Formats: sequence, structure tokens, C-alpha cells
Amino acid sequence: MGHMSLTTGGSPHTVEELKELAFELRSKLLHLCGTYEGAVHIGGDLSAADIFTALYHYGLDVDPTDIANPARDRFVLSKGHAAVCMYIAMAMRGFFPYEGIVDTYGQLDSAYGMHPCKVHLPGVECSTGSLGHGLPLAVGMALSARGRGELHRVFCLLGDGETGEGSVWEAAMAARSNELGNLVAFVDRNRQLMTSFAEERVVFEPYPDKWAAFGWNVVNVDGHDMADLVGAIDRLPEVDSKRPTVVICETVKGKGVDFMERNLAWHAGSLGAADLERAMAALEASRDKESV
Amino acid sequence: MPVTFTFGEMLSARSVIGSTLAELGDEHENLWVLTPDIGATLVEFRDKYPQRFLDVGLAEQACVGIAAGLAYDGNIPVVSGMLPFLSMRALEQVRSDVCYPNLPVKIIGTHGGLVGNGGSTHYAVEDLALMCALTNMTVTSIGDPLMVGEIIRQSMTMQGPIYIRLAVGKKDRVLYEPGQHDVRIGKGIVAREGTDATIFTHGTVVAQALDAAEELAKDGHSVRVVDMFTLKPIDEELISRCAVETNGRFVVVEDHLAYGGLASRVADVVADRNIHLSAFERLGIPQVYAGFGDDEELRNKHGYGLEATIAATRRAIAAQS
Repeated sequence: MGHMSLTTGGSPHTVEELKELAFELRSKLLHLCGTYEGAVHIGGDLSAADIFTALYHYGLDVDPTDIANPARDRFVLSKGHAAVCMYIAMAMRGFFPYEGIVDTYGQLDSAYGMHPCKVHLPGVECSTGSLGHGLPLAVGMALSARGRGELHRVFCLLGDGETGEGSVWEAAMAARSNELGNLVAFVDRNRQLMTSFAEERVVFEPYPDKWAAFGWNVVNVDGHDMADLVGAIDRLPEVDSKRPTVVICETVKGKGVDFMERNLAWHAGSLGAADLERAMAALEASRDKESV
Repeated sequence: MPVTFTFGEMLSARSVIGSTLAELGDEHENLWVLTPDIGATLVEFRDKYPQRFLDVGLAEQACVGIAAGLAYDGNIPVVSGMLPFLSMRALEQVRSDVCYPNLPVKIIGTHGGLVGNGGSTHYAVEDLALMCALTNMTVTSIGDPLMVGEIIRQSMTMQGPIYIRLAVGKKDRVLYEPGQHDVRIGKGIVAREGTDATIFTHGTVVAQALDAAEELAKDGHSVRVVDMFTLKPIDEELISRCAVETNGRFVVVEDHLAYGGLASRVADVVADRNIHLSAFERLGIPQVYAGFGDDEELRNKHGYGLEATIAATRRAIAAQS
């Protein structure tokens, strides 16, 4: 695989380094959630933090100093409410200063809003937010690459909840029909919607079979196991192959903060100063537990 | 192959679309054509540029989303299909994926108005209201089949999105001699000069308005007909000028809901510019689901056919100043 060929300096990170970066991303997320007065979609940010880390620090062939390079991999955030997680991951990758996010998030005229906007924030590939819109956009970008004979990939991150939208499956069908092996979807399978758990009101299972039935190459990983995520990226089919790939990442909404994990109350919210301390302690504890 | 034609003859706008796109495919290597299972007339483009043609099947939302993805990557995508579905089923994709980032996606389609006898599922009668509401969208409705080619050609260099509305497009009257008018997006066409009243209209109803003006001329009335083929941005100067030059008498006739389409656009300009009118007649589709019938029967039934247009124009001319 030719990832990181656009990177200015440095070889790909090791799994251990990536874990550290994911911890830093979660810490920064919690900090924002504790200092910003409005609600942050912290549950779905934390479930996707390892995926974002694996993509921005390992999988995506991008150069933060050359954001319009036609050979770059494209990344489409379909679950647009995880924008802040993407902003911070991008900042950590060098796209823009982290301070700009912390200082202006959600404020008047900020480039960093609840859902990403390409017009306001160059470097972001597209404007998203309404669920079910990202995969069709990614299909268009993958077709464009095919049309020009370019050999980059198009990555798209979806939430499992949003795959209730019919447009996702329209795009899934189009991707298979047009043999877009250069398209890779990651699904953050945190098994929670905003107001219910998966299977309570909406039956998703047999979930991988649904993608397989649409003709996709299906890879199942633990979305919090960095080695697993890196392995999935390493084993992606060739860019010029014919089947699109979906990496279904089993995750936990609120991952890393015990009182947020699998808690419907933490789809979105704001931590006060006291709760921020509590959340940071929980994050530290969860890391200690993992390293044992 | 260039389309050959004779003024006043019937011509298929669809064939003009097909040949124009096939021709433009040479000039613009980044031109894509997408369709949700519509478009026998796109065959020429498909055969010439199979790599840049995509039929997604019945999936309007994905079709528009994919077009946006192509546009993000520097392409010029033309989405061709039936307008009731492109304007309503895919409305959110048009709005959030195309208009919000201001991408150069061209949406062109048929079945604007009570045409095709498909029933209300297959009539786009709210589409102009919906499209005019979208920031960054340019909105057109074309009657003259040759003009369709010209508008598509002009749209190639536009930065943002455009909506191009046709009726059925199988057999349309050629309204203008080539070169007769300076056709420019955003500028209305004075299709017939006159001084007693102005009929504003768009699409295939222009032909009907010209017939009405011809009929009224027999009684000595001089009626101007304006083909306001661009609804957004609307030609405000022309509206102002017509108020002065045609004695403050306006008639708007259109194959669209009477409220929300061209009549509303004109009324907005009248209000915003504080234009004094002596008459404002509004003919279009009332708030009904229109039922079946051929185009002319439906126009007559719902009060915006030829006779109704003549009567409304007489009323406007006779109104007290």
C-alpha cells in the first residue's frame, strides 16, 4: 500500500503511537466539551476517535500543506455531527492550529461549526451534516478518480444509525454497480441512535450481511483496537479493484468515559468544569485499565 | 450532428439536449451526464463518452449526491431526469449538497407543469417555487427548443448550480429565429412588442401568449409578450420598463402554481420597487391536484389556457388607471 506518500516527513506511526494520539484526541474533545457552553456531540465523537486517528495519522494519504493536491485521498464525513472530532484530528495532523478550534468553536463567524462546511473551512472535503448524504458524495468523488485514471482512495465515515437513510443504500448500489474498489466506507457501529439503542426500534442485524448483499467487501473490526484498524487499512484491496470496501467498526458510544459509555443522555451534551475533571479522570482510568 | 430546424416548426427539445451535450462533451473533458433511468436522448452522449455517463437507476437522491461529489472534484455534472422527482425527492440533496457549497451542477428535466398526462405524481407544479427559494440556485424555464441548447451552453461557464425546466420536450414550437434575440441567462426576452399590456410568461406557455397577443391585435390591442425564462435572478429592469411602457398593465400566465412561481417573482419586484400598476392578472394552477387530460385540456380546465389569457389581458387593458 502506498499510504503516506504525500506526507511531508515521517514514516507511518506505530500502533502504540497511534494509541497515544487517540488518547490525546479524546482529551482535547473532553476539554472542548468542558469549556464550550453549547452541546457537543461527544458520544459519537468518542466512538469515532480511534477511527479518526487511524485515518488521519495512518490511512489517509494527505498533505496538510497541499490540501488541493489532486493525488490526495479524499475523506467524506457522512456523520457530520462528529465534525469537532474531525477538526481536532485534522489539527493534530497539521491542517490548522488546534487553538483556533478551542477559541472559536460554534461562535459567530467561526470556521468550526457543529457540522462541517467546506466553504468556511478549506481542507474539509465537503459540507455535510444531514445524514445519509456522505456516501453519494463519496461515490461521486470515486467515480471522478476513476474517470481520470487517478489512483487515490475515497474514504467515507458513516454512523450506523444514519444507515437507516435510504440514500445510503442507493449509493451502496451505485458503488457496486460502478465497481468502485477505490471507495472505502468506515461505519462507526456504536449501536446507538440519538434516542434509542440499535435493535430497540430499528433492526439493523444482520448488519454485515446487508452490506455483503449489496456486493461490498465487508471487513469487521474492533473500532477501538488500533492494531485491528491499522490491519484493516493495510489489507484494503487494490485501488483499481472492483469491489467497494466497508470496514464495520464495532464501537462504544462515549468510549473512554465510563459515565458516558452506552448512555443515551450523552449523545450530545456539555461538561461543566467539575464534570470535565471527572471525565478526564475516567479517561485516564480507562487507559490504565487497557494497558494492564 | 447539429440540429436542423425551421422557424415555427415543431422540434424536440430533448433531441436538442442530447445533441448539445454530445457536442459539449468534446469541448469540456470534465462534463459528466447523470440520470436516474431517464433519457433516450442521452444515448448520443453515452455512446461517445461512456466513461462520463452514469445511469444510477431509480435513485434520484444518490444521483444528485453523486453529481455533487463529481463537482467537488472539478467536474461539470449535468443531471437529467423528470423534474417532479429531481425537485422533490432529491430536494435536500439539491439544497444541501449542491446549493450550500455552490457547486456547478446543472439540473435539467422534463414534466414542468401539467404536461404529459401522468397525473399529479408526474407533474412538477411546485418546482419553481422550491428552486427559487434555494440560495445560489439559478432557475430557468425554457419553451423554445433551440434555446435549451443555448442555455446549456451558457451554463457550462457558470460557477454555481442551475435548474433548467422543460415541459415534455418531445414536440415544441420553435419561437425565435436564430440570432433574433440576445439570449442571456438573467435577461428576459421581449418575444413580441406592445404598448397596452405585458404578458409575462415562461416555458411552452410563451407560444400560447404569442397566440393570445395575435388574437388581441385583431381588436387593435398592442400586447407585449415577455419570455421571462430566467425566474431567478429575475430581470428587474425589464419589469420596471414594462410597467412604464405598457401602461402599468401586467398579466402573468404560467404552467406552475399561480402562487410561488413567476407571478410571485414579478409581484415581489413590483412591491420592492414600488412600481405602480393599474392591473395585475395572475393565471396559473390553482391549489388542486389537477387530474388527467392533455396539456391544453388541463390549461383550459384550470383557467390559464388561451381563452383565459385573452380574457385576462382584455380585463387588464380595460382596467381603470
